Amino acid sequence: MISPDMLKLQMKVVYKLNKAIIYSYGLRIGQLDGYERLIAGIYGKPDRVPVITQPYTYAMGMHGLSAKTFFSEPEPFIHASWNMARYFGFDFWSPVFDFYNIELDALGQKLIWRDRSEPDVDTSDPLIKSQDDLKRLRPPRPGLDGRMPYVLDSYKRYMELMGVPPMAYACSPFTMAVLTRGYVNFIRDMRRNPAFAHRLMQFLSMEVVVPWIDKMVEATGAAIVIMSDAWASQPNVTVDMVREFCLPYIEKIIRATNSALRTVLDTGSWGERSVQNPREVLDVKMDMMLPGNALKALRPFFLLVWNEDYEETGIPPIRNYAEERKVCLMLNVRPNLLEEGPPEAIVDNVRRLIKEGAGKGRFILLLNLVPIGTPVEHVHAAVAAAKQFGAYPIAPDLDGMTFRMPEFTPFAEWAKKEGLPVD
Amino acid sequence: MEWEAGLRNAISEGDEVMADEITALALREGVTPKELLEKGAVAGIYEAGRLWQEGTYFLPDIILATEAYREVMKRIEPLLESGDVSYRGKVIMGSVEGDAHDIGKNIVIALLRSASYEVIDLGSDVPLVSFVDKTRELEADVLGMGAYMTTTMRGMEEVMHLLRDAGLRDKVKVVVGGAAVTRGYAEQIGADGYGENAAAAVKLVDRLLGAV
Repeated sequence: MISPDMLKLQMKVVYKLNKAIIYSYGLRIGQLDGYERLIAGIYGKPDRVPVITQPYTYAMGMHGLSAKTFFSEPEPFIHASWNMARYFGFDFWSPVFDFYNIELDALGQKLIWRDRSEPDVDTSDPLIKSQDDLKRLRPPRPGLDGRMPYVLDSYKRYMELMGVPPMAYACSPFTMAVLTRGYVNFIRDMRRNPAFAHRLMQFLSMEVVVPWIDKMVEATGAAIVIMSDAWASQPNVTVDMVREFCLPYIEKIIRATNSALRTVLDTGSWGERSVQNPREVLDVKMDMMLPGNALKALRPFFLLVWNEDYEETGIPPIRNYAEERKVCLMLNVRPNLLEEGPPEAIVDNVRRLIKEGAGKGRFILLLNLVPIGTPVEHVHAAVAAAKQFGAYPIAPDLDGMTFRMPEFTPFAEWAKKEGLPVD
Repeated sequence: MEWEAGLRNAISEGDEVMADEITALALREGVTPKELLEKGAVAGIYEAGRLWQEGTYFLPDIILATEAYREVMKRIEPLLESGDVSYRGKVIMGSVEGDAHDIGKNIVIALLRSASYEVIDLGSDVPLVSFVDKTRELEADVLGMGAYMTTTMRGMEEVMHLLRDAGLRDKVKVVVGGAAVTRGYAEQIGADGYGENAAAAVKLVDRLLGAV
């Protein structure tokens, strides 16, 4: 039974989705807020290119928080992330924790904690060392084990602050299989013992991921659920391996958890640069999203291509592919560039991404990772450039446009006046 | 000899169980560790490397071949006598501090060994100062560092500073690689070379040591 509060929230989301989609098709009624701009950017043309972020460890560093605090205490995690997103004026942000580890942590996988970076799976001690280990393994109690309560409480706080549900994150079963078995072991399983590899994938998909997505959806009414799948990438695994051992389970999970109001997708993989024909990888990425929403009209969602790949392949062929498949293209800004600057180089890079990628809409710019210690001026420059150059229709003389660096208040001063307390 | 083809194939096909069984049996039958190394293990990993470079093998194939090679080396390395193997140079190699990833590094090591380099594996998550200490202690010709994450890559720059401070920079060639590292970054920190992938890393070391 859905609660009145949840019903109200879902009605609000439906309203925003409809407004954004109608706007994106050209009926420009009213102004878009950041969430609506993101949705309009997915389905068509908003007022300008949406620029979104994952505050992550940069927010942690800005607030002087330890990794242990940031990745296990909801209040400082959400406040630091929200402060970061608001300070720079991003259109949308997601509460991004170490999403590859949550289910693993709940299953009992050992993690390595460090002071200034996210926890990492201890790959020297994988959870499933033998076939018998899988037989003994019990699925986590969704929302109760490991740091699952931290995630749910963080989402709850996010909703109180933002008034919309978060994008919910899960670890894809394929990446989870690599992390619980160890990469080499799982490669061996796929090559020599495919029946076991399929049993492992079945367990992780239907007894770990699906119940966890259900729990997150129950708690938040999330309209977008993202499974991240860094290990389903080339050249780590072949396209054939992804098709045999990953895709069928992604499809099962999506069909078990999506609805007309909820899109569930698998993304985050890379590798266009590592194969002779980048379209092979783009095709797999599309297949990972195609059953995403129960309504065909709302499929697919977005095609995310990372800087390591588009810098090698060039943006135009990827843009052409996205247009052919009628899908929104999402490009990130190279993290090293953000860190090293100078601001002029960042601005030129954003200008180029918009010039080559934004087209007639269906484009999102992502600052997925801002390295700790990056000067705030660099991030301000990236966001301001996206807002200036990304106004639709995109100016034909983008190269000739002069960039205006905005004035900004130092973060400490801003936080004192407007930010939320972190403690 | 039957064991030669068997061991070579087991390694190049990445079957570590078969490779180890053949090695153990051959040793019992009196085959010397040196023969096993040269005619079986090295030949097998060399073949896998060749298939990879020509595009027949994919990364998972070369990884399994590397693992089979490592399994065989575990058994025969302690039995090798000094003088059994002549090396073309000494390389030390590790993943930088904070980085637990070692798959790429292990492939590079296996291929370097197959190309007759003596390689000392410092492991993963190696404290930055250890790269310098080991360079001095082992008098390495080449120091190789790998980083998989943008966040850990910065450690390479620190190692370069430490090498200069220790007066070792001119005595060792430094090569870097890994998913996070780019050619531009390698140039920026003053490394002697950047290995785009494992096969390129071997050619790079050959070139830096004047082996080609």
